[in-house]
Amino acid sequence: MLEAIFLVVAQVTSLLAVSPFLVGLIRKVKARLQLRRGASVFQPYADLAKLFRKQPVISTTASWVFTATPYIVFASTLSAGLLVPTFISQTPMNFAGNIIALVYLLALGTFFLILAGLDAGSTFGGMGSSREAIVASLTEPAMILSIFAIALTNGSTNLSTIVQKTALLEGTVADPSPHLMALAALFIVALAETGRVPVDNPATHLELTMIHEAMVLEYSGRYLALLEWAAGLKLAVFLSLIANVFAPWGIATTVAPAAMMIGFLVYLAKTAALAVLIGVIECMFAKLRLFRVTDLLGVAFILGLLGLLFFYILRS
Amino acid sequence: MQVLSYSGSQLVDLCSALLLLTCFAIVAQRRLSACVDLFALQSAFLVMTAALVAYLTGNQHLYIAAALTGVIKVIIIPRVLKKVIDRLNVKRELVMYVNVPAGLLICGGLVMLAFFISQPIIPLGFLLTRDSLAIALAIVLIGFFTMIARQKAVTQLVGFLVLENGLFLGATAATYGMPLIVELGVFFDVLIATLIAGIYTNRLQDAFDSVDTNQLTVLKE
Amino acid sequence: MLNLLWILLGSYVVGILLPLCLPRRPEVQSLAASAPAIVATSAGIVLGLLGITSSEPVTISLASTIPLLAFSIRIDPLAAFFVLTISLVGLAASIYAIGYVRHFDGRASVPVLGALFNGFLCSMTLVVLADNGIFFLIVWELMSLLSYFLVVTEHEKAEVRYAGLFYLIMTHVGTAFIILTFLILFYDSGAFSFEAFRHPKQPLPEGMRTFAFLMALIGFGTKAGIVPLHVWLPYAHPAAPSHISALMSGVMIKTAIYALIRVYFDFLGGQFPWWWGFVVLFLGATSALLGVMYALMEHDLKRLLAFHSVENIGIILLGIGAGMIFQSYGLKELAALGLLAGLYHTINHAMFKALLFLGAGSLLYATHARNIDEYGGLLRRMPWTGVFFLIGAVSISALPPTNGFVSEWLVFQSLFLSYQLPTVFLKLMLPIAAAILALTGVLALACFAKAFGISFLALPRSAHARHAEEVSAPMRVGMGLLAAFCLVLGVAPMVIVPLLDRVIAPLAGISIEEKVLAMDGWALAPVNVEFSSLSTPVLALLLTGLALLGWGLAVVFGGRLRTRHYKTWGCGINLTPRMEYTATGFVQPIKRVFSTVYQPTVKLETEFLHESRYFVKRRHFEFHIEPIFEKYLYNPLVAFFTTMADRLRVIQAGSLHLYLTYIFVTLILLLLLAV
Repeated sequence: MLEAIFLVVAQVTSLLAVSPFLVGLIRKVKARLQLRRGASVFQPYADLAKLFRKQPVISTTASWVFTATPYIVFASTLSAGLLVPTFISQTPMNFAGNIIALVYLLALGTFFLILAGLDAGSTFGGMGSSREAIVASLTEPAMILSIFAIALTNGSTNLSTIVQKTALLEGTVADPSPHLMALAALFIVALAETGRVPVDNPATHLELTMIHEAMVLEYSGRYLALLEWAAGLKLAVFLSLIANVFAPWGIATTVAPAAMMIGFLVYLAKTAALAVLIGVIECMFAKLRLFRVTDLLGVAFILGLLGLLFFYILRS
Repeated sequence: MQVLSYSGSQLVDLCSALLLLTCFAIVAQRRLSACVDLFALQSAFLVMTAALVAYLTGNQHLYIAAALTGVIKVIIIPRVLKKVIDRLNVKRELVMYVNVPAGLLICGGLVMLAFFISQPIIPLGFLLTRDSLAIALAIVLIGFFTMIARQKAVTQLVGFLVLENGLFLGATAATYGMPLIVELGVFFDVLIATLIAGIYTNRLQDAFDSVDTNQLTVLKE
Repeated sequence: MLNLLWILLGSYVVGILLPLCLPRRPEVQSLAASAPAIVATSAGIVLGLLGITSSEPVTISLASTIPLLAFSIRIDPLAAFFVLTISLVGLAASIYAIGYVRHFDGRASVPVLGALFNGFLCSMTLVVLADNGIFFLIVWELMSLLSYFLVVTEHEKAEVRYAGLFYLIMTHVGTAFIILTFLILFYDSGAFSFEAFRHPKQPLPEGMRTFAFLMALIGFGTKAGIVPLHVWLPYAHPAAPSHISALMSGVMIKTAIYALIRVYFDFLGGQFPWWWGFVVLFLGATSALLGVMYALMEHDLKRLLAFHSVENIGIILLGIGAGMIFQSYGLKELAALGLLAGLYHTINHAMFKALLFLGAGSLLYATHARNIDEYGGLLRRMPWTGVFFLIGAVSISALPPTNGFVSEWLVFQSLFLSYQLPTVFLKLMLPIAAAILALTGVLALACFAKAFGISFLALPRSAHARHAEEVSAPMRVGMGLLAAFCLVLGVAPMVIVPLLDRVIAPLAGISIEEKVLAMDGWALAPVNVEFSSLSTPVLALLLTGLALLGWGLAVVFGGRLRTRHYKTWGCGINLTPRMEYTATGFVQPIKRVFSTVYQPTVKLETEFLHESRYFVKRRHFEFHIEPIFEKYLYNPLVAFFTTMADRLRVIQAGSLHLYLTYIFVTLILLLLLAV
């Protein structure tokens, strides 16, 4: 019990601590690739601290849904984070939900963000909400299929169990092909869900292009801080998911201090590598038009389907 | 390490899977030059597959086939096509008979169909490449579909080449490659076909001011 | 238990008679209708719980003078479960009605409404309790007729009369197929009692069984609203008074689910080929997806909710269809799981759909408008209704930790466990159904973000909405009750699952309670704890705890700052409701992406100022989506029948002598045949 509590606290703390770093790292990589110096990778921490100290301004039009949303989004993203292994393969909250629960916890946040976007009554917010609704509805089926392909090769839909099995090479030695397809699909899904180029651009405030930023446009002060932090957390959740499911090497498999230290460092390295990759992708591609996003997410869906097909057909 | 524990056939499967993956990228891509790049990438994966099969089975002539594929399909044909695109000044496929998401879904259906068709055959084979037969068939079908669904001559050509890649993979998978002399013949056929189609596309542009093959319907009058 | 049954039936009878006998005082009359209904439904809840937990089914039979008919009632766990569902929703609706029917004073007869309400509840209860084919058909017809009368409460409106007629025709077509089903079952058993259906003297031939399967699917499918038989539903449900809509959408369509399970698993003994299950699964997936897609394009709140009933029936059928597929391969545990998921969703949908319909009724009561583009800003004006509607919206969008999430999660698991099936085709089809379910879930989320966001948030969009006031206490209690059920059913699956297991065990022939509940009931772990687990109570705790953590972090890092309130930036001009996103605008991207399904036709008329084309005077925008099923399926059918009727007109001469001749000739022919 004590051990479980320790692990929960450790996981919450590590996710909270690591996520702004990942955001900062992506920004830094983008800056360097665009031949700018860019802000320090630790700038997001300073931003958060500053935002927390600022006086929040709330629209007179808005209702309590608007003020409750940041807390709900923060809580739902962090709970989703507790279902994903980070530096240790067995998460104490493994029993509380499998990967479907993770998807729907994130959807809870999305639901309230969409409401908050509508609440202030400005056109920008409505625009963001409307776009978020379509992007979310196209990502989810792709996510479910790709997840299922992974679940099949490991005989479990619980993330911790999957990672534990892969890390210890216990289960069926995975076929590379279904895994590859699922990885590609999940990566596209991650880009879409975390609002990255080519689906959304987190660095824009142009009404033609923004999705997530448009929904949170009316927020300020501590509410904005919580939402920014939650956005970072969501990124961390997806990067941890991809890193640990497809490359669980080095993750701690026992609750030994040394193993956990190594596990944490390896975790940091893996997610940082993925963050660098995202930074590079953001520089290489232009943001897609909203109605071209369907093409990309269609590919993700088909990849998930192919993962499934490969699993069933190629194993014969 | 995990990688080492993969068997040869799993690696062959993986390479064929990559080929299939690029097929879908081609279907989803609207920019012509990117389609050609993707075709080159696909051919590179084909080279990898052929070389891998050659290494695993010791069939020397497959190395030659792989090398020829590399030269012709990865280097020469994409260059020719790029030249054609440059000259024509068409960058994008604007109008499609089938839009991209629907096209993707149809191709997904085609892959399922190919897998179901080849499912009874696969267990009969004893070669380590036998699973790739299903993938090869899927690639052939998708290539065919691309030729039907697209309007621009260049993308139709890419569709044809994808189909040919599928046939090559199929031959490799079913019998570890055709006799060398047949393969040489096929390569030259493909090369010549591409060149002719390139010239034909240019003529189409000159005659109709467009590379839309739909315009050919005018010819019947 | 029998005493309870008499109390239940007696109270309903009182509820039918009492309001009609009282003097013309609407408040008294509505109370006189609701009070017996409250007693009856309370008795129903207890009866349901007792029926589920009791070890032996209770039967009671009154013989009648009509051959083959016996007024027999059997309370087995399956029937008891549906009595429980009906009574829970009925209780909330009865309380709600006390306040709500005032709305109808002067427009419709309050005592008649009250009497019909009781009669409708009573007939639904009897449908699930009936143990004789003919008795079942009688109460089934009674249920359909009473609901028809309730649908046409506001019969002075032409569209209500149209909706009523449409409903009446469809439901009777359905009944015809149900009669066929029972006739097939009667064919071999020689009696109409359900006991005889269960144990026919000789087993039905395979062809007849298939025929029975299809007839039952069409017959009950019409009532349930399975695509493409759903077309009446979006007309009829919104036309009825809202507490009746809640009953119709929440429980009446579920009686069809009850009957399907009864026929397939009980009468046909759960012995069927795999393609039966696949057909049900396929129809379920189609209904779920198309239901939610059409709902998205609806801006009439009650029609929107009616389309969501189609969607949720689809989700229920996904669970049941998966269960049937597993059953046909002898995978009993998984079959039980599929059924459990379907039934869990049945009760959940009853709760949240009734809640949402009651919420829609409150909005209608307060604003006299049904189009959500005329609402807006209602959360401030109607805080209680707003909170309850939000809970309903979160539940129907299947978001944790509410009840909709738990049952959809179970459906997902039963679809995922398809990897244990022997054929590759089904192994692939079930996950694809899961992907469709995922798409359905998110589209439902988008739809309810629209419904709640446009109705309750931002500025009021019309004078109606500006002057709206919170509804009366009984209406709030009715909604609050259902909202509480939604939350309880979500965070306490360990209470519900054992009950459901008792319902399913006799049907699937296996009890899976120990397999589904893990960790002393704190977690659900369908069949295999290694494969998947879920604990909504823990998730609820986590969500609360982490939200508090977020609040704590804000306090620690920022201290307690006072919030400043200021108007929304409207690019330099004052914000008006016209600048807000409308429901039409909100769903535009979805409409465009799925234009293959919708086939939208858009009409935009612009009127310019006379002086210059740069200044627009007026713009008129409208869009329609193609009603595919009505256009390509029903209209040709109607046209066909009209032509046939025209042909037959030849024999209609209007002469009495001719008609007598027809009868005479028929008589002679029959006599000749009999020889």
